[in-house]
Amino acid sequence: MSRVVTRIADSLVQTDTAPSTQTPAGPDTAQASVLEAARLALARDLRLAFRKRDQLVQPLAFYAMVTMLFPLSISPELSRLREVAPGVLWAGALLASLLALEFLFRDDAYDGTLEQYALSGQSLTWLMFAKTAAHWLLTGLPLALMAPLAGLSLGVPAAALPGIVVSVAVGSIALSLIGSIGAALTLGVKRSSALLALLTLPLSLPVLIFGARATQLAISGGPLLAPIELLAALAVLGLTLAPLAAAAAVRISLE
Amino acid sequence: MTWTWFHRLASPPYIYTLAARLTPWFAWPAGLLIVAGLWGGLVLAPPDYQQGDGFRIIYVHAPSAWMSLMVYTTMAIAAAVGLIWRIKVAHAVAASCAPIGASFTFAALVTGALWGQPMWGTYWEWDPRLTSELILLFLYLGYMGLRAALEDTQRADRASGVLAVVGVVNVPIIHYSVTWWNSLHQAPTVMRLAKPEIAASMLVPLLMMLLGFTLFFVAILLVRLRGEVLSRERSASWIREVVSA
Amino acid sequence: MNSMSRFFEMGGYAAFVWPAYAITFAAIVLNILWARRSLARSREEARRRLAARGEGA
Repeated sequence: MSRVVTRIADSLVQTDTAPSTQTPAGPDTAQASVLEAARLALARDLRLAFRKRDQLVQPLAFYAMVTMLFPLSISPELSRLREVAPGVLWAGALLASLLALEFLFRDDAYDGTLEQYALSGQSLTWLMFAKTAAHWLLTGLPLALMAPLAGLSLGVPAAALPGIVVSVAVGSIALSLIGSIGAALTLGVKRSSALLALLTLPLSLPVLIFGARATQLAISGGPLLAPIELLAALAVLGLTLAPLAAAAAVRISLE
Repeated sequence: MTWTWFHRLASPPYIYTLAARLTPWFAWPAGLLIVAGLWGGLVLAPPDYQQGDGFRIIYVHAPSAWMSLMVYTTMAIAAAVGLIWRIKVAHAVAASCAPIGASFTFAALVTGALWGQPMWGTYWEWDPRLTSELILLFLYLGYMGLRAALEDTQRADRASGVLAVVGVVNVPIIHYSVTWWNSLHQAPTVMRLAKPEIAASMLVPLLMMLLGFTLFFVAILLVRLRGEVLSRERSASWIREVVSA
Repeated sequence: MNSMSRFFEMGGYAAFVWPAYAITFAAIVLNILWARRSLARSREEARRRLAARGEGA
């Protein structure tokens, strides 16, 4: 088992000139080595992403621009914008997360990393889980942290901002997981962005519904625990099923 | 031993000839039931006391809506069977389902809108059932889009199969969330597409239409299935016999 | 013939009832045509494949 970890660690070293924090190969139990491989895959994705900063910044810039479209197209009056703010914040987050999905597997499919993962004998499900976790850390979490800025520009009261951050953070977990299935299914498809949207958006609608409701309640000062719990339920369901489906889809694409 | 029927069903030449033989047994009853249901629904059934003759749209809307869900479920079950046991014929069934389901989902949407205008005063109302149908149409379009984008049939089968299974897990969640959402915003005065107080003379034609549409689906599925099975077999000798006939 | 025209009026709902029936029957007819065409096309393709291999019908 530890041999497999080493192989993944090797792939890390190949793409990475910095010395990797490789743990000495010991007589691991299978469970520990699975987690270790997932941790390494996660660390690798994070490190690669920080090297290509444009991929980090683009979805955030996109989110800011989508938010800006609404004052310009509806009205600059904050009282009117406040009413549509939940929709704007969530539609923007959905689209920005969709935009970032294209980066999720693309480079790894080109340079053969995915194939190496699949051949490593290591649980591809856990590796997909790690990649999705990295994707959420790199897009979902930053989007959640940026949502208050977008909210303020739409006249959302400051008291509502913590609720908005939490709802976007939880909801984007589900979005990343659903998106990982779509991104894995469209691997190798040329000009896949429209197809990816067509596959992912209908499945993401429950997240949009519960998320926008939580935001609405946050703005009006109502109890927003129920919709956030529903978002968390979606995230948990996604956590149990999406990495399995994404791993199956990656395998299919490699056949 | 008890599984021999299963293995035979997975055999392409057997399924091809079986499908050809079974088609008329579904097509003719389907035709008869639909004609009888039409007669009963349009002529024999009395007008609804509230909706007048407008309620007669139910005889085409409800069967179309039923088809949209039933076909999607069939598609997902077939896809799951194909993925789990690696059966080509099951994938062929799933691939045959999608265009049938999509066309009836579209019909359900249009008939729903046409029913909505006299009942709600507007063609489109964000009614939970119509909204779910619309999302279902997108699920079908995504499935067909993914199939069209993947050139290799085997890969298209398996990738679209994963999508169908993921989709069918999501359908109840989508339906629940849409109903939940609608209950928050529903103005109480808006009349829903209410099931009319249904008398036997109204119900019997509806059941005939539902059964007729279901049999029609099976008949069309069998015809499409033969084409899909043929296109998946590259060089088997049985093809020569069926093609030259 | 009065009852006939009454039937077609559908109690004033003709503009909704008949298009609804028309679109549904269009779906039925199109499904029949599409299914037949897709089967014919697959047969034609199979025939061509066999012919290309020199053992065609």
